[in-house]
Amino acid sequence: MKSLATIREGGAANWAFRIAATVVVFALVLYVPTKTGAGTIQTAIEALVLMGAAMSLNLLLGYTGQISIGHSAFLGMGAYTTGILVSRYGWSPWYTFPVAFVLSFALGVIVSFPASRIKGVYLALVTLALALVFPQVVTWKKLSWLTGGGSGLPTKDAQVADTGFNIGAASRGQMQYFEIFGWNPLGDLRKPDNKAAFWYWIAVGVVVIIYLVCRGLVKSRVGRSMVAIRDNETAAAVMGVNLVATKAFVFGISAGLCALPGCVTAIKTGGVSPEGIQSLTVRGAITFLIVMVVGGAGSLWGPIIGAAVYVYVTDITGGWASDEAIPGVLRPFFGWAKIPPSDGIFAVLLIVLMFVAPRGLVGVWRQYSPRIVRVLPRPAGTTGAAPVAIAATITNTHSEGEHE
Amino acid sequence: MPLLDVKDLKAGYGPVNVLDGMHLHVDQGEFVVMLGANGAGKTTTMRAISGLIPRHGSIVFEGHDIHKASADSIVRSGIAQVPQGRGTFPELSVEDNLLAGAYVRHGGDGVHDDMDKWFAVFPRLAERRAQRAGSLSGGEQQMLAIARALMSRPKLLLCDEPSLGLAPLITQELFAVLERLNRDEGLSVLLVEQNANLAMHIANRVYLLETGQIVASGSAEELGADDAIRKAYLGF
Repeated sequence: MKSLATIREGGAANWAFRIAATVVVFALVLYVPTKTGAGTIQTAIEALVLMGAAMSLNLLLGYTGQISIGHSAFLGMGAYTTGILVSRYGWSPWYTFPVAFVLSFALGVIVSFPASRIKGVYLALVTLALALVFPQVVTWKKLSWLTGGGSGLPTKDAQVADTGFNIGAASRGQMQYFEIFGWNPLGDLRKPDNKAAFWYWIAVGVVVIIYLVCRGLVKSRVGRSMVAIRDNETAAAVMGVNLVATKAFVFGISAGLCALPGCVTAIKTGGVSPEGIQSLTVRGAITFLIVMVVGGAGSLWGPIIGAAVYVYVTDITGGWASDEAIPGVLRPFFGWAKIPPSDGIFAVLLIVLMFVAPRGLVGVWRQYSPRIVRVLPRPAGTTGAAPVAIAATITNTHSEGEHE
Repeated sequence: MPLLDVKDLKAGYGPVNVLDGMHLHVDQGEFVVMLGANGAGKTTTMRAISGLIPRHGSIVFEGHDIHKASADSIVRSGIAQVPQGRGTFPELSVEDNLLAGAYVRHGGDGVHDDMDKWFAVFPRLAERRAQRAGSLSGGEQQMLAIARALMSRPKLLLCDEPSLGLAPLITQELFAVLERLNRDEGLSVLLVEQNANLAMHIANRVYLLETGQIVASGSAEELGADDAIRKAYLGF
């Protein structure tokens, strides 16, 4: 396979590309809250929540090979933890994040014990049961003293709902300003745009934390054992990987991380109920799965790209409320539905993607980007002049391969 | 005292016992080959020793009974297995496969030195160190699986049919490496095979396994000299 250019990992060109990519990501993240309105920011928060959930699912499914259709329950754990602690016990929402992580981690570990004995479609069914049971449990009448039953949270303090659980304030009532060391970057939080921007930055923070945890984990010794379990469980076991403990740990971390975007959802919505937040139902669990697969399972950026694409497509197509709003080419196919065709269009897109990009959008990038620029990997454990020599060996073997 | 002493080993899958009271031992520095047809229980023996399946009886390794130990603590105690087939992690690079092999060794002490050592023994792996393991040829993958098992610094190496699906020439090369490891490094090896001819050449001792029991044992010469055994089991 010919490529137009060849650069070395860690070389100047490689760093230039990395810096450019970082600048683009920073620009996008800054653009949304400063240059767009509350509507776009809200949509961006949805995307960020999906990114967080899909990234945590990716640890379990993409890297460790354990399927879960129950991650909506872990997201729900986060949302309900924040909801209950804030509206019933008057906590500041900030402190509910670590509590939600710990509780959801524990639930994940509990689920992992039956899960470590079953595989594939059976594991899918067990976790699906978790997703189906969760909304039933939280809307159970006998638990309504805690969860608010069918109508959800909050039940006693309507005012709290206004600024989304009244972030950061010790006393009840609206929080007006968010200050860091006396600096007030966002302005009056009672204005919808500023309020949305505030939630947006919380969501960005959560996604960054989840990304850093995933990255640290995947590149570590534990990360290798996760991929080992995914690729060949028997071989992993005879390498000395404790299958039960590793799966329990990954289930726990994945569940705990998935709770964090749940907290964000609760704060943003200002109320928690399975009807109000669709991500708490099995529909959410399936959306996380789709987002992860579309972006690219088993890659760090896959779920991020997948969530952005998913929200972008469903948001645009969701606005096509009448037949006239649907672009001409698509109108004959989706016009008859009389409802915005977002689900249908995304379903078709999903089928096409599974043929064109079975390993997700990141997979397409990995497959085709070497045709333009090939990055020669730098082997670990070598320094100085050695990489050049080895890079030369690799190029040789590649060119040998071409002649065959 | 033998390095590994297995007595009255019973193991299997579900209610069926594939192994029904088998005895075997491996001495320090010995190269032991176990021969048997399909379904004789060779792989089950390996899996039972490694702790991958439930088993009964006594398995004593270096004076400790490990028949109830978990798979990971057995690796820690110094038994590494090269699983049957291409037991590599295809999505990990060659280097990362080797690092995964050193999983039980906490801390980086000497891990990279060991890696360089095995790259010297298997130069073709060194050339492909940054490639995905899944892109290697069958023989290279088998070498990688052996090198990976050695990364845990085992005292006893269990090899489950390394010749499976390999060209005769590659198999010879592979066995030569194993023989060298046994001779130069003092590594004890228990290897199961269907390929009697090649394996018997390098073995100190041979077991014949049939339907879950050892039916004959002895040196390669002894077994080869016995006409009845030769015709029935060895096929030459």
